Amino acid sequence: MVTNTHLNIEAVSKSFGPVTALTQIDLKIERGSFVCLLGPSGCGKTTLLRIIAGFEKPTKGRLLLDGADISDIPPHKRGFGMVFQSLALFPHMSVAQNIAYGLKLRKASAKEQRERVEELLTVIELPDIADRAVSALSGGQRQRVAIARALAIKPKLFLLDEPLSALDAKLRDNMQIELRRLQQKFGVTTVLVTHDQTEAMMLADELVVLDHGKVQQAATPTSVYRQPANSLVADFIGAANLVRTRVGENGRLVLFGNTVEMAVDHDPGTAVNVAVRAENISLRSAQADQEAAGRVVFARDLGAFKEWLVSFEDQEIRVRGSASDEIEFQVGDLVTLTVDPARISVFAAS
Amino acid sequence: MRVGLLPREGGGTYRFVILFLATIGILISSLPVIVVTIMSFSASEYSSFPPTEFSLRWYVEVLQLFTSEDPSSAQSVVDSTFTSLLVAFLVMVISTLVCIPLAYALARSNRNLREGMELLFTLPLVFPLVMLGIAFLLIAESLQFDLGIWRIAIPHIALVLPFVLRNCLSAMNGISVEIEEAAISLGASPLRAIWDVVIPLMKAGILAGLIFALIISFNEFTVTFFMYTIDLSTLPIWMYSRTVSSLDPATLALSVFIIVVDVFLVVLVDKLIAGRGNLF
Repeated sequence: MVTNTHLNIEAVSKSFGPVTALTQIDLKIERGSFVCLLGPSGCGKTTLLRIIAGFEKPTKGRLLLDGADISDIPPHKRGFGMVFQSLALFPHMSVAQNIAYGLKLRKASAKEQRERVEELLTVIELPDIADRAVSALSGGQRQRVAIARALAIKPKLFLLDEPLSALDAKLRDNMQIELRRLQQKFGVTTVLVTHDQTEAMMLADELVVLDHGKVQQAATPTSVYRQPANSLVADFIGAANLVRTRVGENGRLVLFGNTVEMAVDHDPGTAVNVAVRAENISLRSAQADQEAAGRVVFARDLGAFKEWLVSFEDQEIRVRGSASDEIEFQVGDLVTLTVDPARISVFAAS
Repeated sequence: MRVGLLPREGGGTYRFVILFLATIGILISSLPVIVVTIMSFSASEYSSFPPTEFSLRWYVEVLQLFTSEDPSSAQSVVDSTFTSLLVAFLVMVISTLVCIPLAYALARSNRNLREGMELLFTLPLVFPLVMLGIAFLLIAESLQFDLGIWRIAIPHIALVLPFVLRNCLSAMNGISVEIEEAAISLGASPLRAIWDVVIPLMKAGILAGLIFALIISFNEFTVTFFMYTIDLSTLPIWMYSRTVSSLDPATLALSVFIIVVDVFLVVLVDKLIAGRGNLF
């Protein structure tokens, strides 16, 4: 079988003195795929990207690019394009000089450089800014120039370290679409680091959730969203509720006071955590004498959807309903909560 | 609408105090320059202020000093000027060549080391200059060989290093590691990244340091006073020798010329660093 693995990260660990940043990272990155490293700050995602780029050496393990060990190759010989969090454009060079810098180092002729700069400026839809100073650009333009500069060298890998975090929400949304379009156009294997799960879901072919220096889950965004591997992932991805509950005597899960028709791999009577998303819970009005009812403690209409906080036993459950829902629940209403068994994940209680 | 920093009530008093202090400050710092400039246009041989008649005779005399042989002193003004310029040039180049890599290393090292080293290099500033002169003289005399021009240049380098280092360090402050890494990721070796990105961004600070080194070395007197020899003397020493017994108004005319050049250079520095420099 021909494998299509472009970058193979094998058992990579990294410690900074006594601090362990990464433990036993194993990842296979497919050729031409867009991989997002997602996790809360301090989870080691930037360290992993810097190891791939060559700016950090792994304490243990190795990196294989197309099967060849690149662990000892210095960063300037790896030929990976990188976009930095601060963008790090060269302020003393024009836009064209910035984009051509990598080509100049590769001793490309002036004509080649000019053509490539023109080509990239067209691709990023800013054909007229070649001679402008970097300081004269807007945030979004700088972003595009930084991306063009990294792509100009036809990189083997395209690495991005939270490049969109400094942009405002609307611009960020546009840039995400743009970035995905560029990546597909060039077909370059891409690794992007982010702490923004919406961004990761939107961009990634494969989502790698990192926490505590370990890979918690590596899968498609949909399966990470639908079937989180553990409660850390479930907690981090989306507006998920982690509900403490137990498995009933009959081996069925008890959730919000009702038995859920769903087989679980846990012994009857054990405590479990259930991850269930706000939008997968539905509310019904309950009678005052009804058992297993919760009380609405907070309600808001966000236009696109409505959101309620329901106090159930001693937990607060976030519930999201579509804006077209007819029923209005007010603070103080008694409600029952029901969930679709296909949309919940059950984990052993830690 | 802009809100004044000073309270409006009683603003007159505040304004008066500030103007008063500013005037005193400016007077104290510019008075010597004003006096020297006025005196250099005096027509009289006697150094009394203010002069009663004005002429350009001392400027003519300076020109003659530079163009004709001067039998009255072993070291002519031409030789001294040449030595001063050569020393200043050497000091400027060497201190900058030392400070660029030093500033880079310190800016990229941990904070404690950086602060310690900065303090160490500031020592010549707090050391009494007379003691510094004596110390360098003792060192130079204990050597078995003749230092030549370095006899004066080396002490000058010690004196200007803190100024040049501060300028280079503040220039380094704004240069992030990421910008170097960006160059490296595009294929530049670490040294090439420094050459292509760090040095050009440090340029203003480097130039400011160069000019400060030039001015400080060219005007240095105290330490040089211990180091000069019959064959090796600088312009400030020569000027002192002309005025120690009786004031030679020609030296005043010469001073005016030096002041004009210095002011030009300082304005140039100010333009270069545009408020980003750090003199102390």
